[in-house]
Amino acid sequence: MTNKEPIRIGFYICHCGTNIAGTVDVETVARYVATLPGVAVSRDYKYMCSDPGQELILRDIQEHTLNRVVVASCSPLLHEQTFRNAIQKAGLNPFYFQMVNVREHNSWVHTDRLEATQKAMALARAAVQRVPHHKPLEVKKVPVQPGVLVLGGGIAGIHAALTLAGGGQKVYLLEREATIGGHMAKFDKTFPTLDCAACILTPKMSAVRASSNITLWTYSEVVKVDGYVGNYKVTVRRKPRYVIEDLCTGCRECVDACVYRDAKFSDEFNLGLGKRKPIYMPFPQAVPPVVVIDPQTCIELKTGKCKKTCLEACGDRHAIDFQQKEEIVEITVGTIIVATGFKIFDARRTPYYGYGVYPNVYNALEVERLVNASGPTGGEIVMRNGQVPKRVAIVHCVGSRDENTNRWCSRVCCLYSLKLAHLIHEHTRAEIYNFYIDMRTPGKSMEEFYTRIASEGMHLIRGKVADVYPDPSDGAQGRLIVQAEDTLLGRIVKTPVDMVVLAVALEPQPDAQDVRRMFNMSCGAEGFFLERHPKLAPVNTFTDGIFLAGCCQGPKDIPDTVAQAGAAAAEAYALSCRGHIEQEPNTASVLDDCSGCKSCIPLCPYTAISFDADRKKAVINEALCKGCGTCVASCPSGSIKQNLFEDEEIFSEIEGVLAC
Amino acid sequence: MVAPTETLTCQDDLTLENLLQTPEGQRIMSCIQCGMCAGTCPYGEHMNYPPRQIINMLRSGLLEEVYQSDSLLNCVACYACLAKCPRKIRLTEVLLPLVKEQMFEKLPEVPKELQSALQNTLRYGNPMGLSPLKRTDWIKSLGLPVRVLQKDPKPVDVLWFVECQTSYYPRGQENSRAVVRLMAALGIDFAILGNEERCAGECARLVGEAGLFDTLRERNIGVFRKYRFNRVVTSGAHAFDAFKYLYPSFGFDYPLDHTTTFFADHLNELKPKLARKLDYRVTYHDSCCLGRHNGFYEEPRALVNAIPGVKLVEMVHNRVNAICCGGGGGGMWLDTYYKSKGMERLSDRRVQEAVATGADVLAVSCPYEISRFEDALKTLGYEKKMIVRDVVELLAESLRE
Repeated sequence: MTNKEPIRIGFYICHCGTNIAGTVDVETVARYVATLPGVAVSRDYKYMCSDPGQELILRDIQEHTLNRVVVASCSPLLHEQTFRNAIQKAGLNPFYFQMVNVREHNSWVHTDRLEATQKAMALARAAVQRVPHHKPLEVKKVPVQPGVLVLGGGIAGIHAALTLAGGGQKVYLLEREATIGGHMAKFDKTFPTLDCAACILTPKMSAVRASSNITLWTYSEVVKVDGYVGNYKVTVRRKPRYVIEDLCTGCRECVDACVYRDAKFSDEFNLGLGKRKPIYMPFPQAVPPVVVIDPQTCIELKTGKCKKTCLEACGDRHAIDFQQKEEIVEITVGTIIVATGFKIFDARRTPYYGYGVYPNVYNALEVERLVNASGPTGGEIVMRNGQVPKRVAIVHCVGSRDENTNRWCSRVCCLYSLKLAHLIHEHTRAEIYNFYIDMRTPGKSMEEFYTRIASEGMHLIRGKVADVYPDPSDGAQGRLIVQAEDTLLGRIVKTPVDMVVLAVALEPQPDAQDVRRMFNMSCGAEGFFLERHPKLAPVNTFTDGIFLAGCCQGPKDIPDTVAQAGAAAAEAYALSCRGHIEQEPNTASVLDDCSGCKSCIPLCPYTAISFDADRKKAVINEALCKGCGTCVASCPSGSIKQNLFEDEEIFSEIEGVLAC
Repeated sequence: MVAPTETLTCQDDLTLENLLQTPEGQRIMSCIQCGMCAGTCPYGEHMNYPPRQIINMLRSGLLEEVYQSDSLLNCVACYACLAKCPRKIRLTEVLLPLVKEQMFEKLPEVPKELQSALQNTLRYGNPMGLSPLKRTDWIKSLGLPVRVLQKDPKPVDVLWFVECQTSYYPRGQENSRAVVRLMAALGIDFAILGNEERCAGECARLVGEAGLFDTLRERNIGVFRKYRFNRVVTSGAHAFDAFKYLYPSFGFDYPLDHTTTFFADHLNELKPKLARKLDYRVTYHDSCCLGRHNGFYEEPRALVNAIPGVKLVEMVHNRVNAICCGGGGGGMWLDTYYKSKGMERLSDRRVQEAVATGADVLAVSCPYEISRFEDALKTLGYEKKMIVRDVVELLAESLRE
């Protein structure tokens, strides 16, 4: 055992340019550490992570027969692996290494040079006292199962699934609604090119259906996730649609034959602006092209006393099945891409805009449907009162940039407002008034788009709308007054309009917290799923093997969503191709003196602990253990130990940091 | 629904010089100049310097120019800008009173009515200039006992702070009589300060007369300290605000209610006693102080809805979006001044909305509103169409005899 050899530690403190050396007197720290017991070499160097920096360690290990290394530099998140690799190259076990963070934890957060230097010394001393107790450990390899689960069938999920399938990966694409397509399927045209959303989306939807590598399950939800990276067991609930997917040809003769002669139920796809029957196809290009029966409105499913004319119309195809039950299926996948999308802000939360009170106040998504040729009005912009608007106000930032609702900028609203301004004008020749706070049009070709729309003659008024109310002089004809300060003119404007369009914010899905818990992810304060690093790991989560794509991570436009979906697919693909993952050996294990009290089992956030009934002891699954230490701290008999966090390591470290 | 504003008390030591270094100042620095404040201000179009501009001038060090303008005499402290500000800047509570104070000092001439109201408040403790000794005269014709602490100082559960309008004005006194009947019906142990009570001073503070406000606060807190009671209930919506936001830094720490919220808390006991059917169609006007400033939108409506026979209808502008009666921040005594500037009276604007609902009763919860709306109805020729009643008056009217 190396324990018998005399301990010979090499200590290195990094200048990180002036990042560290500007606040910490690195030479003094190096001189100080040289005096500590067990330290054979102590140096400071401009950039420890550079090749010459790593070479320095390598050479010292050989020349000075070092058997432990401590590096004081940045966060281990960034360079722990770099230095472990370096000492491994020199023939040492990579876990004979300890890293000290004197940048994020010290130089970046302190201003007093003397105190920061003393803190660096204390942190270095702690590491130097700890590292002699380190044991040689081995990185374990865990196989990655083939198969990727993509959760959510919007444009993000569709693109990720197609990318993976194109590379030969087996993909399960899960969608909670009856069809894939998500929000994009509801849009009329897309900015900045004004190309038709359906024309660019539906080919991808058809490709999903055609791909032999994609198993598409619509009307389905995840109910449970077990396992770990490379080996996730996912339980899926497939809700009954009362139509056998394989047998339905999508002919819709059943819809025509339904005993309800007229469509009379609120049509979800058109946000309630149109009507559907109890048996319906969400929209003409739905994928799968299969009808669905709504049990809330179908007479047969409600009472069992219908003439079932639909069944008759279906005839020999036998696709309708009123006895269909929900199905619970378990699948195993190696990685998961979460692409669950967003919901639009409920404008009733800003009551002064009159949404839900005045029929001529619409949210932007409703207007997308009104403009769309397959929408409830066949593409004619006809308001609820049957009239075509002559004057339209578009109100920006509804539920965005507001401490009373959502603090964030939803990023796409300025651009979709400009787009809707163009489309409404094109359809109706109406005068359009855009009320904005700041016109935000970043991104390729977006400013050009703004210029184009502005030059078409829109009224652009810089001011947040304060009030929307019926025009008192109008005698209940539905005309509304939009009141705001035109901040550039310094005047209060009261603009009479026929229609108000609210550019509503993008918000996290209402059940985002449930999904977060199920997949063991994190959310930012605003409720969107949190990426592992805002710049360098934008599609990773804090759970290995689970990736993010699209607006569930934050508001973004279609190009960025597709780019992110591609990135998530690449990350999943990389794991899959490698076929295994390497696991940090900081796992916990149960010692023989475990009394079998089971108190650790419910505490484990990763469900890594089970009970061995024969031996009457707890057992920790190394593959599941993330090394959080909860069980170690909780064990009443001290019978759980954790690699890299053993008692003597931690106590020596504490003594080191507290000694002066 | 828009969340009520944070219940932060105002700091007394804030000045325009140190403001930007405080947390509130940081909020002011975060202003995005969206114009929501100016757009929602009921008199925004009459201001050379609406709140947005004042923030801009403050940040540019040009505030002196604002003092030369009378813009802020048009601020009726209705809290609309504060309630809707996307950066939660506490305009009505902090910045505007500080600027008003400076403007007030530099005004070449204080409008007469306002001047005399302020002088009266200083001299007599009420803006009407009536004798403090007559503050309890309304009790005489009441026929129900009301304990006055000055004469009978033993401890009491509820100290009812009556306020000025409700002590002196005939229509305000009806409100007070209704409160007594409701308190008696509920068996509440209550008492009043009587002739020792003085105006709570909220309007003096919000019009920019900080010195007068300090005097009144000191005096009232001195009187509070003489007696033992469990809670304060006040009929004045403005007094409620004064006690909640402006008195605590001076040691006021009693549990506090407005009569409306107090009776709403006792609704279960009160309901069986509301036996008389009132065949009214009622529209409720949200008081700025109770509504926008404190979020009490549903309590007064619950009281109105508890009265048998009453049908409640809403005005176009309600709750957070309600239009001010124009009486706050000194507006009560600026009607002549506004008229001279060609400005519409806000109470006129408001009663037109109320009449448009088809209601026959305009229910209110702030004592200012009774006189303002009754006057507006008369001016506009609607006095036969609609009457004004405080919510507590409606409740008392419905009490079983």
